[in-house]
Formats: sequence, C-alpha cells, structure tokens
Amino acid sequence: MLPRASRAALRRTGISRAATLSHGRRGFVQPSGADRASVMDVPSTYQGEAHFTPRSDMLGFKLEAPRREGSAKEKIRPIYLDMQATTPVDPRVLDAMLPYMTDQYGNPHSRTHAYGWEAEQAVEDARKHVADLIGADPKDIVFTSGATETNNMAIKGVARFHKEKKRHIITTQTVRSCKFLSKHSYSTNSQEHKCVLDSCRKLGEEGFDITYLPVQKNGIISLDELEAALRPDTSLVSIMTVNNETGVIQPMKEIGTLLRKHRGVYFHTDAAQAVGKIPVDVNEMNVDLMSISGHKLYGPKGIGAAYVRRRPRVRLEPILSGGGQERGLRSGTLPTALAVGIGEAARIAKQEMQRDHARISELSRRLIDGINSRVEHVVRNGDVNGYPGCVNLSFSYVEGESLLMALKDIALSSGSACTSASLEPSYVLRALGAAEDMAHSSLRFGLGRFTTEAEVDFVIKHIIRTVDRLREMSPLWEMVQEGIDINSIDWSQH
Amino acid sequence: MSAVVPPSRRAILSLYSTSLRTANSFSSYNFRHYFLRRTKEKFRQLQNESDPARIQSQFNEAVKELAVLRRSAIVNQLYGGWKLAVERTPEQPEETMTRSDN
Ligand SMILES: Cc1ncc(COP(=O)(O)O)c(C=O)c1O
Repeated sequence: MLPRASRAALRRTGISRAATLSHGRRGFVQPSGADRASVMDVPSTYQGEAHFTPRSDMLGFKLEAPRREGSAKEKIRPIYLDMQATTPVDPRVLDAMLPYMTDQYGNPHSRTHAYGWEAEQAVEDARKHVADLIGADPKDIVFTSGATETNNMAIKGVARFHKEKKRHIITTQTVRSCKFLSKHSYSTNSQEHKCVLDSCRKLGEEGFDITYLPVQKNGIISLDELEAALRPDTSLVSIMTVNNETGVIQPMKEIGTLLRKHRGVYFHTDAAQAVGKIPVDVNEMNVDLMSISGHKLYGPKGIGAAYVRRRPRVRLEPILSGGGQERGLRSGTLPTALAVGIGEAARIAKQEMQRDHARISELSRRLIDGINSRVEHVVRNGDVNGYPGCVNLSFSYVEGESLLMALKDIALSSGSACTSASLEPSYVLRALGAAEDMAHSSLRFGLGRFTTEAEVDFVIKHIIRTVDRLREMSPLWEMVQEGIDINSIDWSQH
Repeated sequence: MSAVVPPSRRAILSLYSTSLRTANSFSSYNFRHYFLRRTKEKFRQLQNESDPARIQSQFNEAVKELAVLRRSAIVNQLYGGWKLAVERTPEQPEETMTRSDN
C-alpha cells in the first residue's frame, strides 16, 4: 500500500499522472511506455522509503508490480504495413466499447430491465452509424461475425431461397492462371476472397451452376461479358468492390445499373475493403446485399455487418436458426461491445474519410515514387486508379522469399498478384523449371490512417537496400546488367 | 445571455495545449503521431474560423474529444508502447543479416 499522503497526492495529480509516476520501484501501475514517462518528485508530505524495506517474508523477491513479459525496452516490433489483412483498433473505438465490457453488460435482447434497454440502445445507435456510412436505412443492417459470415449468408442464402426456379450464380474468376511454371500453370490472383469462392464451390456441389467471369488485364470486369453471362435463371451476381490484393475498384455503379435492368437478379458485393475507405452508397450502386467487416475499418475483429435490402425485399434463407434476432436472418445474442465498436468505427470513418483518403494517397505516391526513383524493374500490379492504400509492387530478378525475410522490420504480405502480363518471366525460366518467385516477387504494402511519413521513408530505404543486395547475388540480374538477352541463350545444352 | 459567446482565445489555447499534451502521451508510435497531427489540424481549422456559432460547436467537439483521448491515452500507456523499428535510436543499431551459405 502507498502511504496515505502520497495516495492523496496521486489523486490530486490525476490518473494520467499516476500512470507516469510509477517510473521506478515505487510503482504499482507499470505502464510499458515508462521510458517516455517523466519522473516526478515525491510530494513533500511523502514519508520515506521505510515502507518499501523488504521484510523477511519476501524471501528476496522484489517489491514490484508485475511486469509484462518482454516489455517495452527489449522488444522492437516491425512497422505494420498490412492494412488489408487487418487494421489496428482506433483508440476512440476502444473507448466507446469499454463501458460495455464493464458495467453495461446487459443482453440487448432483454426487454424487461434497464440493463437490456441500455444495451439495445447502444446496438441501435451503432446500427445507425453503420447504415449512415453506406447510405442505407438502419433497418437494413444485420450484424454478423464478419465479412466471411456475411458472404456465406448472402450467397448461400439467396441461392438456396430461390433454388426452385433459379440455379445460376455469377462471380468473378476464381483464379487467373499466370503461366509461370513449366509443369503446372501457377495460379494466383483470386479476384474474389476465398470465402466467396468457397461458398460458390459448395453451391456448385449442391447442383448450382456457377459462372466465374474473367477480368480484364487491369483487373476490372467487362460489363459486356457480365451481361452476356446473365441467364434467365440467374439469381445472384457477387462482385467484390475493392480487391484485397491489388486494390482494384470495380465500376459498381455501372454494374448495378446493368443488373437493375434484369429483374430477379440480386447483386451482392463484398465491400470489406471498401467501406470506410472510399465512398460507398448502396442506392447509388444499386446493390441488394453488401458485406462489411469491422476489423478492416479500425474496428474490432469478430463483428461485421450485412446490408440486406428491404425495398425491394431481398429474401434469403438464414444459415443460423434460433431466437430470430436480427430480422430472423442471424439468430444469436448480439455482442454489444463489438457492435458498439463497429458503430463507432463507422462513425469515425465517415467523419475522417476524406482526410484519410487524401493522406493515404499522398503517402502512397511518396512510396511509389520513392521506390521507383531508385529501383529499376518494378511494376505496380493492378489498376492505377485503384485504392491508394493498397500498393502491390513486383520486383523482377529478386526471390520473393528472400525479400520478405530480409525485410523483417516491416510487416508485409507478399502480394500473390500477377495481373501484369509484362512480368511473365521468359519461357527460358519456365524451361528451367524456375519457381515463380525466383523470377520476381510481389509485395503488398497496405497503408492506413495511422501510417506516418517516417514509416514510408523507412520502407523505401529498406526496400532499396534489400533489393540491391539481393540482385547483386542473382546471376540473372548480372546477365541483365551485361545486356545479355536471356531469351537468346540456348540453355538446353546444359 | 442570448447571442452565442464564443470561447475566449485563452480558453482555446489552453484546450489546444492540453490536447497536444494528451496526444503526446500515447505510448504507441502510430497513435501518438496520428493524434498529434489531427489535433494540430483541428485547431488550425478552428483558428481560421470566424463564425462564432461554428467556433463554439467546434470547441465543444474538441472538449468532448479531449475526454476520449485522455482515457484512451491511459489505456494505451497500460497496454501499448513497444518500440517500433522506425523509432530505433542510434544506440540500438539494427542487426544486419548475412547469408550463411557463402
Ligand atoms: C475482401 C474481403 N472479404 C472478406 C474478408 C474476411 O473478413 P472477416 O475477417 O471479417 O470475415 C476479407 C479479409 O480477409 C477481405 O479482404
């Protein structure tokens, strides 16, 4: 226990100081950011160290607050540039959630007492924020566990509900085979997220016809091909708004207009990577169903939302049966705190979208220009007009695995994209049986609200250094430097 | 009191400096930098505003946000704050990786 007087002093200086007071031994609160905290003098009423003299029953253990393992000083973490995988929870979002993880723990479906009412109110406010972000009516929003669940619910739900009359579904192509390998053509670049594709595969097993639309070179689908693929028994078209690998944005408004002309065809979009980042409006886009994920817009993981249009009504078969919550489409008690989290995240996203977008565009330009000015043979995958927060670059003559390994100070994903035909390594490499990533490697840089200029500069510096070093070790690069056309060599003699 | 009395210059400046200090007390690099930048932007906007009603509403908004930031900074001090690689000081040089196979 702290002596009375110093406790009173703590109270006077306020909680935030209390956290910083705990610098040395005296602390009971041990924030890991202590190295940045300032040490304060003990108050004049402080009565000395006697209190902390070890007693015999301490057996030599120090009087110290529990330290978190691997605390601040010893561990250096990589900078995070993988915002497509997930985003950090905005501190303001966490602040909105915490009351519902402490005292306000009511079940939002309890109708008989204040605990339930306050939780219900919080959930309904959150629903409104989510609806406002996409231009929908709050009644059209159904909370789910994430975009994966929403995609399953939308695709399987609509298809199964209409299965008597309609047995055809359209989505974009599973994989674009990039012919990199000699023996098996290497397939990457899924245009849709796995959960969409897997839902479709499952429906295929149930006897539905699935059309996988190809995309054009720039990753965008062709409206003519889409129209040609429509059949009288098509029940659903599912197209992702923003691609998570390349940032390619599909022309949703045009697709929506086209599909509106065909009665009875529902339009679903997986907008997990779009909502909160670019303006999305369900009425402008004419979408009937939309998938949203909390953790892609600085909210918590484990919550998402489905937009399910009520006018004209979209009918679907729910996956979960039970208490009939969420219009009967998604039974189960709502996680109040998580719902509040996605709501607050949506509110902040709406408020900050313009500023965030401008800033991310600027950082994105800085990154691309910075790398391009110093490294040759870099190709940006995807569409130049895509979402700027997703920069997918391919580096030729660098082995992918080595590049990622050497960049251990940067948390990145390897972009498995290969929309760029110019990157196809020569047939020579193929003949050699070289793996795709020996010929070039793609990295996906995901920038977000909390990315700083210093981080971008850090990345540029490291990329330049690493790529240079790796290329120096590459015999292929040596030949390219010497001006040998590797296509002209007759490798077969060896 | 009928017309809107905008907050005094001193009140705004005081709120500004408290907000900056709070933003600066985040342990996590990214949050600290973001909130510092946002606070500066917001108050610059407030400075350029001439309509008293709008000044008042922006001021109230900033007061509310300060309360949120204060709480958030405490939580962040408790759980956040590992150093990131960009924050590396000269005394902590990064190790360089060398290949072992040559
Ligand atoms: C486009 C897209 N859809 C769906 C998901 C999955 O979302 P969730 O984690 O909320 O299920 C992701 C993220 O991995 C995604 O990028």
